[in-house]
Amino acid sequence: MSSVTPAIVSEKNSDDLSDQTLIHIEKLNAWYGDFQAIHDLSLEIPKHKVTAFIGPSGCGKSTLLKWINRMNDVVPGARAKGRLTIDDDHQGQRKEIDVLDPNLDVVGLRRKVGIVFQKPNPFPKSIYDNVAFGPRLHMKTSKSELDELVEWSLQKAAVWDEVKDRLHGPALGLSGGQQQRLCIARAIAVGPEVLLMDEPCSALDPSSTLAIEDLIFELRSQYTIVIVTHNMQQASRCSDKTAFFFEGRLIEAGNTEQVFTKPKNKQTDDYVRGKFG
Amino acid sequence: MSTLPSAIVNQDEQYLVDNARRRKQLSIWFYFLCVAIALISVVILVVLMVSIWSQGQSRLTTDLLTRAHSELEIERSGMWPAILGSLFVCGTCALVALPLGVGTAVFLEEFKPTQKVLRWIHGFVQLNIANLAGVPSIVYGLLGLTVFVYMFNVFGQIRVNESAGMEIMGYKHFYQVLTLEPGHVVFAPQTDPTVRQITFDEPFQAVDPDGNPIEISIWTPGTPKPTDPEIRRRTVRSGAIGGTITERNWYYFRLPFDKSFLSGGLTLALVILPIIIIAAQESLRGVPSSLREASMGLGATTWQTVRDVSLPAALPGIMTGSILAMGRAIGEAAPILVVMGAAVAKSSGPQHLMDDAVTMPVLIFNWAGRQQDEFKELSAAAIIVLLVILLLLNSTAIYIRQKVQKAQS
Repeated sequence: MSSVTPAIVSEKNSDDLSDQTLIHIEKLNAWYGDFQAIHDLSLEIPKHKVTAFIGPSGCGKSTLLKWINRMNDVVPGARAKGRLTIDDDHQGQRKEIDVLDPNLDVVGLRRKVGIVFQKPNPFPKSIYDNVAFGPRLHMKTSKSELDELVEWSLQKAAVWDEVKDRLHGPALGLSGGQQQRLCIARAIAVGPEVLLMDEPCSALDPSSTLAIEDLIFELRSQYTIVIVTHNMQQASRCSDKTAFFFEGRLIEAGNTEQVFTKPKNKQTDDYVRGKFG
Repeated sequence: MSTLPSAIVNQDEQYLVDNARRRKQLSIWFYFLCVAIALISVVILVVLMVSIWSQGQSRLTTDLLTRAHSELEIERSGMWPAILGSLFVCGTCALVALPLGVGTAVFLEEFKPTQKVLRWIHGFVQLNIANLAGVPSIVYGLLGLTVFVYMFNVFGQIRVNESAGMEIMGYKHFYQVLTLEPGHVVFAPQTDPTVRQITFDEPFQAVDPDGNPIEISIWTPGTPKPTDPEIRRRTVRSGAIGGTITERNWYYFRLPFDKSFLSGGLTLALVILPIIIIAAQESLRGVPSSLREASMGLGATTWQTVRDVSLPAALPGIMTGSILAMGRAIGEAAPILVVMGAAVAKSSGPQHLMDDAVTMPVLIFNWAGRQQDEFKELSAAAIIVLLVILLLLNSTAIYIRQKVQKAQS
């Protein structure tokens, strides 16, 4: 797959498929051991939009996020039933990836569905090696192609200008916000279609948060973004669709503006106004 | 202020001040206690070093480093074969124990199974390793004796002066026979390894001690004896008896291993294996799981995550544990005595894989127990050499570790 170079990625995304659903979730139930974390959840996640998952701690939003690229595989006792599929354009042919299929190629799934975690977690390697980590796993690239890909990813993640003079310096020497943008660059370097973000700003200061939010806004033209957040303002600022979870159930999902201004459900109303949570 | 509890309101100011002073004093006393305890161990070490140094310093000569143990010239006894022997034994030990130990730790920490039966096996292995770390090393010696030295006698018993067990490669058997020239021998190739001795009564092909092929003729007693030394060297008395002698290449391999340095090294590997496993596990556990998640999230397989993320991050800790373990291996005497015996007469390092060896701790043990004062001083000198070698090995390893750590951060 040496073809996933920046040029191809932008070409692929030039097709305007804006109102399409990319991820379909139907009657999903998920457990950790005996504890049921998600009950009968159905949700559609639109392509090239930002979808925010909100809700109080323990409501199952992170669990759902981590099932989308099967990060829960490594958690002992985690299992899920139901349907979770991702549409896939494979050389012009429509295909569906059945995410919960036990025989699924998880490595391939995670190349399509990248994830950014709550705490910035760059590897204790150089900035360059961090971004090149994913491409080196999956692709066959020449040195110059890899250099180009690293620069493109860092530019996309709006951190290139700050690190271009010290690409081979340690990634852990960056500030928290820069580290998080580096993690985003690392995630998009493998050419994913979906970016999952698990509270990407909760460990950052306000100005770094703003930078990440701007970045999310930028990236949505090319990526389908799912973001979990505790921050109401953040959800209302940078998402197109919002889903409100409570105790493992989806309470309300819809257009962000509608969810925040005139929610249909009383619980949603209380939560977005800050009455509980 | 009636809402405050009486304990806060009715507080004696003087008591508060005194109490604070008393607690501060106690803290200072405790500080000095800790310093004293730390100093005691340092003082004991210094006393030990000084006493060893004063005993052994006069024997720290080049003879000590270059010559072998000698009963006849005690003055000039040395430890060169023991230095070589220790390096060979510990080298074997490191080559076996490091990959096995790190591999086991990776299995236990990074490949945690999810099925119930496998989890049970996993826990069982873990429990056993924790217990093995506490087993006295002499017990490992007995295990090594059964497993490596005798191999349960399944390949036959080793007998004195006989090729024994199951020889696999790197050997050639000859019949050694005396010629008419006193002190000169020739070697006839052995065709049937079960025949230990043959009698020569016909001319035969042989090689001389330099390896050149020569034709050997037979002299029958009663006929005139050749006088030319050249001819005498190529003549054997009729009825002369040739006994088996074996020439071994460095890769000579035989089962069982007998009292070879290989047995010793493998036994030491058993001794330090639990230490290495536990140290490696600890440092793998110290790698933040967020790094593993990051790697998995990018689509790395478990193996790629181990190779590119977990192991590099845990390497400094693994190396520290390995250094400590190797330090223990090089100083270990008890299992070596059981497996390789207490003989110290060997005059060279191991010549082939199955060769026996003297190690430094065994030599020191032997010398320290002798009556002669020279040997007592020699043992002190040998201890100094052992310590220096240990320090050299450790500082090299620490230097490498620092470089690795720097390259990573």
